[in-house]
Amino acid sequence: MTPSTPSPLLAFENVAFRYPDGNVGLDGCSLAITQGSRNALIGANGAGKTTLFQHANGLLRPQSGAIRYAGQPLDHSRAGLRALRSAVGLVFQNPDQQLFSASVQEDVSFGPLNLGLDMDTVRQRVNDALRAVRMDDYADRPVHNLSFGQKKRVCIAGVLAMQPQLLILDEPMAGLDHAMRQELLAVFDHLHGQGITLLLATHDIDFAYRWADRIHVMARGQCTAAFDAEDFPGNAHALAAAGLPIPGIIELHRQLVTAGHLQAGQSPRSLGELTELIKHQGKSAQ
Amino acid sequence: MLIEQCAYGNRWRFVSPAAKAAFSLGGFVAAFAAGRPDAAAGVAVLIVAVTLLGACVPPGRYLRIALPPLGFLLLGCVSLAYSLDFNDGNLVVQWLPEGWGPTLQLAARSLGALAAMLFLALTTPMVDLIAFFRRLHVPEVLLEIMVLCYRMLFVFSEAVRDTRTAQAARLGYATPRLALRSLGSLTANLTVQIWQRAHALHVAAQSRNNDGALRFLEPQYANTQRDLWIAGIGGACLIAAALGLA
Repeated sequence: MTPSTPSPLLAFENVAFRYPDGNVGLDGCSLAITQGSRNALIGANGAGKTTLFQHANGLLRPQSGAIRYAGQPLDHSRAGLRALRSAVGLVFQNPDQQLFSASVQEDVSFGPLNLGLDMDTVRQRVNDALRAVRMDDYADRPVHNLSFGQKKRVCIAGVLAMQPQLLILDEPMAGLDHAMRQELLAVFDHLHGQGITLLLATHDIDFAYRWADRIHVMARGQCTAAFDAEDFPGNAHALAAAGLPIPGIIELHRQLVTAGHLQAGQSPRSLGELTELIKHQGKSAQ
Repeated sequence: MLIEQCAYGNRWRFVSPAAKAAFSLGGFVAAFAAGRPDAAAGVAVLIVAVTLLGACVPPGRYLRIALPPLGFLLLGCVSLAYSLDFNDGNLVVQWLPEGWGPTLQLAARSLGALAAMLFLALTTPMVDLIAFFRRLHVPEVLLEIMVLCYRMLFVFSEAVRDTRTAQAARLGYATPRLALRSLGSLTANLTVQIWQRAHALHVAAQSRNNDGALRFLEPQYANTQRDLWIAGIGGACLIAAALGLA
């Protein structure tokens, strides 16, 4: 598990954490996130994804091992945490856990005001963040009148307004319908385009394969494998060990190659790419 | 929920809350300044008219919101108008020696005050009111409690509804005995949920760099000065009318 660049933005080195009730959260977890990359953290329920995220944001403190942000070990002093939490934004899985202000605008302003910014800057940031998640028309709405997907986007805006370098999202796609997922994906692409590093937890292995640059597999409190998304087909054993299947598109491609319908080569990453491949190779065969 | 719908759906939603509060205050003062019951009732009618015609709050909805406080008012007045006494084992009903006058006066004033309060509540969302109180330097701790109560009201009513529906789907309310049992477990479950949610909110606030005080952005309104003038004049007219009628 070597990081793809010499100095990753966020690095976990053999981090262990056990909850007070005896449950193992992290058990010698090592992981590296490269600046500007799109990362998917995949793993079964209870694998330790949320615990890892809470460590990255300084909400939990490792009992052993080390966490580095931009090469520096995490500083758990008040000032250190302040700096860390403005650089690493965490979006929780359940929006009702994160939203507690009465109106959308108020909630988004909560983080920037905690940073001690003046009202004009905060107003500007709130507007920008709401525009980035396409919720600017809802600024004055009360939070409880929003749909689940809209609440999720407000949660993301609330963290974006703090202008983080690394945005961590815990199961952002959970509970969203297809259209909302597509909208959220567009938001992610936009943020990635702005140079924000993204790390998100997901159960959806097909989505992870289609979207991410780098995949991190978690099981039993450890990051058991990390590889570039193109190397997915060669990592079936690592996925199986974590109780995860390989993406359907890889299996389909493999079967088509075995049956002689397609030439062997790099597996496509989405259904669209596969259909293109079939059209293209079908034409050249004729 | 009805109040919420009116507060967000009325025509004066984006008028400065300071102006609406000024008019409402004018209504309160007028109701108490009115020397005679008919003057106070007149003030109440005027404020209701402004709420229905000016802010375009639907009359049906207004009536449904006003009914519970009106019921309380009626009960209160009836209980004030007479007293019950046991004399030698006999129940004696005694009317006030002053007659209905004081009761009517009280009822009319209360109506005026109720109309003034409903005017503010039905035209101004809680969010704007809290921001307005913040500008008035109401103690931060009170405002934080207001914000959290307001938000939690909706989170918990949703939790109660979901749990109740899940219980009802499994015949939890089929008989009175089962209903009592289900209600008990709903309460117990909600207690744990409140605990967990409070903890979760604290963690989420921490992750956004919170160090204790809850700070939020203040909304901005166009034409605040103009609206304040209009509301001030309106409030003064109400007071003048109340005094004039007296």
